[in-house]
Amino acid sequence: MKETIYTSQSPLSTPRVFLQAVRADLGVVYRIGWQLFVRNLKVQVRQSLLGYAWLVLPPLVTGLVWVLLGHSRVLNVASSDVPYPAFVLAGVFLWQGFVEALNCPLQQLSGAKATLAKVRVPHEAYVAAGAAVVVFNSLLRLGVLLGLMLWFGVPLTGTLALVPLGLAALLGLGLALGWLLALLGLLYADVAQGLPVALNLWFLITPVVYSPPAAFAKWLNLNPVTPLLTTTRHWLLAGPAAPAPGFGLVAGLSGILFLLTWLTYRLAQPHLIARL
Amino acid sequence: MTDAAAVVTVRNLSKKFCTQLRTSLWYGLRDIAAEAWPGAGPAPGLRRAEFWSLQDLSFELRRGEALAIIGANGAGKSTLLKLLNGLIKPDAGSIHLRGRVGALIELGAGLDPVLTGRENIFMRAALLGVGRTQVLPLLPAIIEFTGLGAAIEMPVQFYSSGMVARLAYAVAAHLHPDVLLVDEVLAVGDIDFQRKCIHHMMGYLAAGGSLILVSHQPHHMQAVCQRGLVLEKGRLAFEGTTTEALDYYFSHQAGPGSPDGLPERTTPTLSEAHPVVFENLTLSGPGAVIQSGDDVLVTITYQALRPVPSVVWGFFIYTCDGSTCITAAYPPEPTMLAPGRHQLSCRLRGLPLTAGDYLVKSAISDFESRQSIALWGWEDAPSRLHVEDEPSVTKNIHKMLQQLVTVDVEWN
Repeated sequence: MKETIYTSQSPLSTPRVFLQAVRADLGVVYRIGWQLFVRNLKVQVRQSLLGYAWLVLPPLVTGLVWVLLGHSRVLNVASSDVPYPAFVLAGVFLWQGFVEALNCPLQQLSGAKATLAKVRVPHEAYVAAGAAVVVFNSLLRLGVLLGLMLWFGVPLTGTLALVPLGLAALLGLGLALGWLLALLGLLYADVAQGLPVALNLWFLITPVVYSPPAAFAKWLNLNPVTPLLTTTRHWLLAGPAAPAPGFGLVAGLSGILFLLTWLTYRLAQPHLIARL
Repeated sequence: MTDAAAVVTVRNLSKKFCTQLRTSLWYGLRDIAAEAWPGAGPAPGLRRAEFWSLQDLSFELRRGEALAIIGANGAGKSTLLKLLNGLIKPDAGSIHLRGRVGALIELGAGLDPVLTGRENIFMRAALLGVGRTQVLPLLPAIIEFTGLGAAIEMPVQFYSSGMVARLAYAVAAHLHPDVLLVDEVLAVGDIDFQRKCIHHMMGYLAAGGSLILVSHQPHHMQAVCQRGLVLEKGRLAFEGTTTEALDYYFSHQAGPGSPDGLPERTTPTLSEAHPVVFENLTLSGPGAVIQSGDDVLVTITYQALRPVPSVVWGFFIYTCDGSTCITAAYPPEPTMLAPGRHQLSCRLRGLPLTAGDYLVKSAISDFESRQSIALWGWEDAPSRLHVEDEPSVTKNIHKMLQQLVTVDVEWN
């Protein structure tokens, strides 16, 4: 029979047991995460008249706006070989994915506070369910984008196969940072208040709607989102296959940060519940 | 040493909380940081604005056993259940659990209002760690147990709290945990459902399950639990059979002399507003203590402003929790209250009560209308009747059966 021991000791005093518990919970996280993901989709549909149309409507409307802008030649920024609307749309859709990933842990965990305080459940399940929604939405946006690329006459090349990798790195960075912020945000409301402000500033220093001018490229590259977003956009829009400098480093660090945040959150979980 | 048969072993368990929100958040950050340094445990003493929600609590629960946790609001019952459920971690001491723990702490938690009852069964089971494939074969039994009928296909937001309780209990009950933690969940269900739950709990215990029940309803605890713990301000105040624990709780928790938590007796001053007042009610037996079978003299002392014709006075014997009137007596003929301070008395022959604590209330009423003129023990503390008995097998059986009265029987 399984024996569970609760003491005041830090789980890190028995690291093997701690990691085993994390691993043992993975199955539960998958099961609950999947159920929550399906539930979120169902709830979204049942409480609206348009139902599943809401899943594709927002990116479709954004896309159409840019098509119209491109068509009327309002925007005539001679940036590169790619039509500007396609360039911006790719950037905006990727940035949206990152922002959603960043927001999702705090949103999911705050929304489930009442349950988390009363039911013993690995909190990762909520983060996983949120992440699944982010991936789902990103893939839908990608589908819309591919359609618009054909419209703009952007060639579909082999580098498209690398896009999932770039997207994974971008979402991974967003989730890792978002989870760390959620840990603080569950305690202090300042995080939820400050996040939109910070994201607005971050948008401006990220080359989402512009190509970085050479003079500032060095500085903009210090922004960890830059190499991930630029590289993934290149892969999408038939650009160079070689990743932008710093892509590998940021992607690797994002992975490590994600794992560390996960373990830190596990350690913090009982202290957070006591204050929910 | 830990008992081999114990499924729950709690040793010197302590948990502290902070009374100030901002300070609590800061301590939270510090405690999280301390977790990252192996060997650095939580601060052993109390920090500023902290208090012990539980302190130095030890007990064991064996297979097939049910334990009632009794205590006033804020005594630490819910903290204990949260610790046992692994939601929060101890600040000192340890908890050893064998097997899977199922908890019914807050019934509404984890149910989605938009999903139907049926969909929520899967959702809730997943939250309790059981997957869809394992729930499917149990589904008919769960739905049957809820007794919700066609309502199972209705969104949960249209359920009453009793219906939510039925759904949540049915799911948790059918997943067969080794230890079931139940926190005040039966209160919202109707009588039929309460009976069903109690019946289920008995069956679960007989099948080797173990149960910890927090409730404010003595008859639930007595029906299900063999043992009881009384918590007072986070400390273990009493441990014994459920009946003993409830006795202890009702006689100590609200303070001596006011077992109902009613204010201490204050005799109102004789006035036009109170033309008749009770001054005292005493019970006395032939010896120093009252025993089962004794002849007991019940005496009331009253003061009256003026003569009051055609009244009756009576006494009422209640269980020590004040919830059940065991017996009451009125004289068949009216009497008259004389002005001034006087006494009225009657003799209760062969007290039929078993050993234990009881409450005695009294009333003086108008004979015709039965409208009360003066009361003793209704709005303030009643008199306490302590019935002694020599320790014997019979006394133990009375306790076990929660028997209150004995009757004279002629056996043929």
